[in-house]
Amino acid sequence: MPIGQPDPSLPIIQFKDVRKSFGDSPVIQGVELSVKRGEVVVICGPSGSGKSTLIRLVNRLESLTNGDILIEGESTAGLKGAALRKLRSDIGFVFQQFNLYAHLTAHENITLALDKVLGLPKAEADGRANDLLARVGLADKGQHYPAQLSGGQQQRVAIARTLAMQPKILLFDEPTSALDPEMIGEVLAVIRQLAESGITMLVVTHEMGFAREVADRVVFIDQGQIIEDAPPAQFFGATRHPRAQRFLEQLLSPLHGAGA
Amino acid sequence: MTFDWTGVLSGAPLIWLQTGVVTTLAITLAASLLASLLTLVLLALRLSERKLARALASSVTELFRNTPLLVQILFWYFGAYNLLPRDWRDWINNDHPWATLPGNVPLLTPEFLASAWGLGMFSAVFIAEEIRAGLQAVPSGQREAAISQGFAPWQVLRFVLLPQALANAYQPVVGQYLNLMKLSSLATAIGLAEITYQVRQIESYNSHALEAFAVGTLLYLAIGLIMGRALLHFDPKRRRIKKLLHAAPVISEAADAV
Repeated sequence: MPIGQPDPSLPIIQFKDVRKSFGDSPVIQGVELSVKRGEVVVICGPSGSGKSTLIRLVNRLESLTNGDILIEGESTAGLKGAALRKLRSDIGFVFQQFNLYAHLTAHENITLALDKVLGLPKAEADGRANDLLARVGLADKGQHYPAQLSGGQQQRVAIARTLAMQPKILLFDEPTSALDPEMIGEVLAVIRQLAESGITMLVVTHEMGFAREVADRVVFIDQGQIIEDAPPAQFFGATRHPRAQRFLEQLLSPLHGAGA
Repeated sequence: MTFDWTGVLSGAPLIWLQTGVVTTLAITLAASLLASLLTLVLLALRLSERKLARALASSVTELFRNTPLLVQILFWYFGAYNLLPRDWRDWINNDHPWATLPGNVPLLTPEFLASAWGLGMFSAVFIAEEIRAGLQAVPSGQREAAISQGFAPWQVLRFVLLPQALANAYQPVVGQYLNLMKLSSLATAIGLAEITYQVRQIESYNSHALEAFAVGTLLYLAIGLIMGRALLHFDPKRRRIKKLLHAAPVISEAADAV
């Protein structure tokens, strides 16, 4: 748990008129969104809608074109250098393609940043790595290189690597989209556990079953704008925006959507 | 046609060949160290945020990559060397017993310095390009993962990108160091008494051209093979595979899981 929390009632993340353009094309167009501490927010939308860009803006893997993102009430728009790196080390990011360091074992993948970024003593870093590998069910895979692990195992190591930094916020960018169907379950199980642990999460995913079960809120975006922001029961229930409705229909019944 | 190997492998010619081997090894080592150092400088410039530094590195690269090494060595020896201060040149021309290898091979001579510098500079340009290509082959996700964990830019390079780039580039880089060894034969043009120089000396001494060049060729071959084997022994990918094999039982398990 982070020490010296400001006001816990304050939103932990607050998007304020956030805009992002790549060249002339706007990708995020004036997003306002506020996330409470411990909330699990699922972000969904058609491909190219800007959902990945939206979470990449939070830890500044993409630069803001306009607006600000407050983290625990603090503006982050102007952060640079060491302050920006501190912000990033406090925010975990899980990639679609896992992005484990290919030249390091699973164990070393976890300890590298503990050593070089947080400056933890070796014993403590090793301890964290062992604990987390056990937590994601891979206690025996520490000495394996990423290429020796299945996609699902790699993603679980990537999640362990992220958790080792003890982040305040976790961002997931389509964490199961690159996985074979039979491995999606093992990764979702780990993420579900995390959601229950009370950590704040923003999850971009197409796994609607997961969203329905785990999310506190579902945010639907299209063309860089938030179209709908509702609890899952409401989002998957009756009232909703026609575009969100079409999206859900296609996702739940792809053949119907393509044929219609 | 008969061969007379004793004309090459005894008496003065044998001593010359020995001196030649020591000189070739010495120039290869000195130029390799220099090349490694210059590679670091070139890479630092190439990867710099400053446009001017990058432009400087790429002009140097183009210049040294696209002109003949022989011309470069002649330039350093006959041209640039004379721009050094008088005192330095006088000092270099003095006797330096402490800088003399067995077989009476002096290291502090204009010939040795110009050759080492010329070979080092020429090789560095190629080695730096190989490593740069190795860097470009590292998937962009590796960089993003490191940035998202809060690594500083130099740490991303040092701990994540370079180790992978070096592994990617290792074989071509070894090839460049082997090239350097072979190209040291060009230093014969400025009178560095390495293998090729000695072979030609034998040839003019007793006209045993065929034998002398055969022995010279074999010497280069031997050095090249030993050097190549030794360097490939340190291939990071090879070592990774070795480590992998040590964990053999778990691997088959992982293979089952895939």
